[in-house]
Amino acid sequence: MRSRLADLLYENAVKTPDKTAIYCDGEEISYKQMANLVSRYSNLLLYLGAEYADHIAIPMNNSIESVALFFTAAELGVCVVPLNPSLPVEAVRTAMLSADVKHVIARKAFYVQCEKNGGIDIPGFAICLDKEYPGTVPFKTIDEMSNFRPEEIHDISGLESLILTMTSGSTGSPKPIDLSQDNKYDRAMAHIRVYNLTKDDRILAATPLYHSLAERLVILPLILGASSILLPRFTPALWLKCAEDLKPTFTIVVSAQLAQIRELLGDSEENRIGSFRSIVSSSALLEPLVKYDLIRILDCEFHEMYGTSEVSTVTDICFQKDKRKKNSVGKPFDEANIRILRNINETTDETDCVCGEVGEIAVKSKLQCKGYYKQEEIMKSSMAGDYFRTGDLGYLDEDGYLYFFGRKKELIITGAVNVYPSDIDTVVGKMPEIKECAAFSYPDERLGEVVALAIVPKEGAEINLHAVKTYCARNLADFQQPHKYFIVDALPRNAMGKLLRMTILDAVRKMNL
Amino acid sequence: MEEIRNFIVDYIEREYTIPGGTDLDRFNYVEEGYIDSIGLIQFIAVIEDEYGIEFSDEELSGEEIKTVGSLVKLICEKRDFYMGEGC
Repeated sequence: MRSRLADLLYENAVKTPDKTAIYCDGEEISYKQMANLVSRYSNLLLYLGAEYADHIAIPMNNSIESVALFFTAAELGVCVVPLNPSLPVEAVRTAMLSADVKHVIARKAFYVQCEKNGGIDIPGFAICLDKEYPGTVPFKTIDEMSNFRPEEIHDISGLESLILTMTSGSTGSPKPIDLSQDNKYDRAMAHIRVYNLTKDDRILAATPLYHSLAERLVILPLILGASSILLPRFTPALWLKCAEDLKPTFTIVVSAQLAQIRELLGDSEENRIGSFRSIVSSSALLEPLVKYDLIRILDCEFHEMYGTSEVSTVTDICFQKDKRKKNSVGKPFDEANIRILRNINETTDETDCVCGEVGEIAVKSKLQCKGYYKQEEIMKSSMAGDYFRTGDLGYLDEDGYLYFFGRKKELIITGAVNVYPSDIDTVVGKMPEIKECAAFSYPDERLGEVVALAIVPKEGAEINLHAVKTYCARNLADFQQPHKYFIVDALPRNAMGKLLRMTILDAVRKMNL
Repeated sequence: MEEIRNFIVDYIEREYTIPGGTDLDRFNYVEEGYIDSIGLIQFIAVIEDEYGIEFSDEELSGEEIKTVGSLVKLICEKRDFYMGEGC
C-alpha cells in the first residue's frame, strides 16, 4: 500500500494539473509541477540511499521545497525531523541524538556553523540546499532525477512516523512529538470538516514550518486540492501585503501575530483583508481587548481554538455564532473529549471538577500523537487513564464550553513558540560567576510573553550583563534569548526547596527591579 | 568593511537567500522578516562578541541598526572608537 497523503497529492495533480498548489515568496507551482518535484525529491533520496523509516533532520525554512519534503517523506515512509534554524550547534547535536537522525538536509550556513563548533556526526547522507559544501550533495542534483513517481518500495501502513517535532531545545531530554502519517491525515480531515474547507479555498500558513500548525496548514490544502499560500517570513506588513495580493480565504494565525496585524490595520476604512471568509486564532489566548476589537472589525467568521501539539486542536469557537460565550475557547471537536481534573496544591488527582471549578485540562482525542519518541515513560506520566494532561488550567461551563485559565506547567510561550525555562537555567547556570538562575515569563504587549532571567551571583562575584547576553547569544536559540535580566539575592523557593518559578515575576516587581 | 558586510549578510541569509539585485545598503532585514524582534537580540549580541563592541540602548531601539548599510557603518565607527581599528 502506498502513502495516503502522497496518493492524494498525486491524484490532485491528475485532476487539476494546472491549478496552483503553492504560492511562496513570489513563486508559484502547479499541482503537476508539485507532483513532479515530489517525485524528483523521492528519487534523489532513494538514489542517496534513504531507506524506509530513516530519520532526516532539516533546519527548516518556509519554502516550496520544505513542503515537498513532507510529501516525499510520506511517499518513502521516512520521517522528517524539522529543526529551528537558529538552534545552536550543541542543541542540534542533542536533538539529532534524541531523534536518531541519520541524514541531514540543510543550507550551507548550517554546515559552516557546525564545522566551526566541533562538527556533527551524520551517519547517512548530507544535502546542501543552497550552495556547494565539501562532504555534502548539492540539492541541484535533483534536476538530474526523473519526474516519474518511484515504484512502491515498501508497504506504507500509515502508522509510521512522518514528523518528529522537537519540543525542547538545548538540554536535558528533548521530547520529540511523534506524528504518524495517519495523525497528519486525521488532523487535516478534522480541520477540513470543522472549518468547511473546500478545494476552492486558498489557505494561508504564516508560522514556521518546524511547528505543527504550519505543517498542518500546508499539508491540508494539498490533499484537499485547494491552494496553499506559504508566507516565507512573518512581519505584519508582509502578511497584509500577502492578504491583499494573493487573497487567501482561510488561515489559522497565532494570537501574537493577530495582535500585530490589528495594530497595523489601524482605523482605516479600507478592508485590506476582505478575501477571508474565516480567520482562526490559536496557540495562546488572545488579549480580551484585541479579541473584542477584532470581533467588531472583522467582516468574516472569526474563531479561536485551543489545543496542544500532542493532541492537536481540542476546541473551537466562532465568535459570531456563539456571541454569549466570548470568553470561552469553545466546544470540543468530535474527535476530542475533555475532563477537568481536580488540582490541589499543584498536584492533580484524577477526580473530575464540577462545572465552573478550575482544574487541569485533560484530553482524550483521536488526533493524539503516537507519543514522545523513545520517551514512553514521560508520555505515560502525562496521562490520566486515556486522557492526556495538558498542563493547562481551565474549567467547563454547564453547556460544555471550555474556559482557559492559565498554565500549570512552567512553560513560556513567546510569539507562539514554546520555551522550556529549565533549558535556559541549565545553559546560563554554567557561567562561573552565576550561583543559580531561573528563566520566567514576563508579560509583553507585542509577543504576549517574553523570556526574563533572574540571576543570583556567586558570593563576591560581579555579574557583567553584557557577558551574560553574549553567552546567551552563543548558547541559546533565538526564541530562548532573555529579553530582561534581574540580579537578585535569592530565588523564591518553598519549604521543600522547590523553585517557585511562577512567583519570580511578583518577587522582582515587589523589589522594584 | 567588506568583511563586516559579508559577516552580516551570511548571518541574515542563514534561512533565506536575499534576492539578487537587492540594494544591500538600504536593505531593512527586520522589516523584510529575515530576522525578527526575538532574533535581533541574538544577532546584535553575536556582532558585539565578534567585533568587541557594544551598542547603546538608543542604538538598539533605533532604525539604523536594522539596515545592512547603516549597521556596517555603525560597526566600523565603533571599532574605530573602541580599538582604533576602524574599517
